[in-house]
Amino acid sequence: MVLAQILLNGILLGGLYGLMALGMALVWGVLNIVNLSHGALIMLGGYTVYYLFTLAGIDPFVALPIAMVVMFAAGFALQWGLLNLVVRSKMLNTLLITFGLDVVLTFAAQLVFTADFRTINPSYAGANFPVLGLTVPVVRLAAFCVAVALAAGVWFLLNRMPLGRAIRATAQNLTAARLYGVNPRKLYAITFGIGAALAGAAGGLYGMISNLTPYMGASLTAKSFVIAIIGGLANPFNVILGGIFVGIAESLTALYIGPTYTDVISFGLLVVVLVVRPKRAVRAA
Amino acid sequence: MKRLILPLAVLVALALAFLPMVGSDTMVQFGINALLLATLAQSWNILGGFGGYVSFGNSVFYGLGTYGTAIAMTNYNLPFGVGLVIGVILAMIGAALVGLPILRLRGPYFAIATLGLNGAMMAIFSNLPIAGSNIGLVLPLARNDAMFYELALGLLVVCTLTVLWISRSRYGMGLIAIREDEDAAGVMGVNATLWKVSALVLASIFTAVAGGIHAYWSTFVDPASAFDSTLNVRMVIMCVFGGPGTVFGPVIGSFVLSAVYEVLAAQISTAAALLFGFVIVLAVVFMPRGLADVVKGGRAISWRYFIRNIRENRL
Repeated sequence: MVLAQILLNGILLGGLYGLMALGMALVWGVLNIVNLSHGALIMLGGYTVYYLFTLAGIDPFVALPIAMVVMFAAGFALQWGLLNLVVRSKMLNTLLITFGLDVVLTFAAQLVFTADFRTINPSYAGANFPVLGLTVPVVRLAAFCVAVALAAGVWFLLNRMPLGRAIRATAQNLTAARLYGVNPRKLYAITFGIGAALAGAAGGLYGMISNLTPYMGASLTAKSFVIAIIGGLANPFNVILGGIFVGIAESLTALYIGPTYTDVISFGLLVVVLVVRPKRAVRAA
Repeated sequence: MKRLILPLAVLVALALAFLPMVGSDTMVQFGINALLLATLAQSWNILGGFGGYVSFGNSVFYGLGTYGTAIAMTNYNLPFGVGLVIGVILAMIGAALVGLPILRLRGPYFAIATLGLNGAMMAIFSNLPIAGSNIGLVLPLARNDAMFYELALGLLVVCTLTVLWISRSRYGMGLIAIREDEDAAGVMGVNATLWKVSALVLASIFTAVAGGIHAYWSTFVDPASAFDSTLNVRMVIMCVFGGPGTVFGPVIGSFVLSAVYEVLAAQISTAAALLFGFVIVLAVVFMPRGLADVVKGGRAISWRYFIRNIRENRL
């Protein structure tokens, strides 16, 4: 029974992890930028929802789309004004610049939001209902549903809409896409914006389930990366599945080995995945 | 210009060696920190600058050096020198163990795999009773800042000489070949895995000694200070700012940034870290080949140089 409950928690949390990784996988697959500031964008999204909730009194789930729009604008501006300047240089440089960006965002957040732990705590935060003897927390279930819905949205965008076709074309061949009338600067900015918006949504949901601190970004970046590799960069639903896999692995570690070891496990998992499936990893990049 | 650099470096090193006799206590303490950081940046340069493999996990070797020294000195009452050796051996084993699986990964995969290293090590050490768990270890007191200063300076000199040797040797050429095109390097007979792992092990030696010196100097070690992830940030930034893949770039870069940081930290503490982030962002945009490239050839710094850098890399 305990095991079933742990598995359920892992699956619900894993859906959210998948959403975190979705934005990173999109940016990575299309722009060929491994965005090390992805976790910081998740953090910013979380704080946006937090302040919309505490200062403006907007329900967190209503605030979520607002935060996504805000984060889209921020991501668009970042790519347009800064990352487009270095996107053609070596991978080393794009890694370093997003790393620097992560430091800037983290410490700017520390200055503005202070280092206190924050939780988005709506009145229904503790609500749950029993199903087959298991306890289902309402907020976690809702977060899972939002994650799946957004993954479906990304799938629809990429496969059924002209913008998605342009994005996929650019990912395959930038020069050819350009010949067909795609403006790469704008398209890159839009793609990064979508990635940031997904990160923002993930941050808002994460803030309801866990704590927000300015420093939460680094570990979430690493986690997103693991999941993006496990799930691959092509299909949004696979990314969600990858997230569920990591969520379950973490929950089981916390139960059987001890909660302080979850970091060790996700790192170990990353190394195992990278070493066991290097072919696939190389192809993805 | 090129002929002048080496004698100039020797002169600067000699002049620095006399600092404890003339400088104030605070200056010597600032010097120890700056020299240790420069050593970290320089040793990061071996794999990161020459080999082109960005590691965000080198602070792990610093931590292993720190803990190796601390455990040997407090739990077994061994002298400092033996402690350092134990720390170095620990770090070398760690580097080989970590390097063998993850150095098979290329580019961003390696970089991200190293991101998790620090957290994982911290979790392990805060659960080890021999390392004082979460509480940490207190080392015997040694109030001799001049000695630590000379040790740190000596370490930096040895590290820089090693990098100088690398830059002129067949070994270094192999690393540069790996950075430029790993497949082509393999075709030319460079055993990439061996080269990369040995570069990481080499870097871990200097990093661990720096950690050991810092442990004995500060006389206190705990998981948060030994596995300080901001240390990674600093060593990478200092090396990249100065010029990755050059001999003196990382040293110059870290001296300049240490001084800037010191002045800023005295005025506004959190903003100093923020400024560091800005430095790395601007450095990547405007001088992707580092300060050393700007200075090289005595070129007068003009805005055209920066514009050209942007033009090369923008979309």
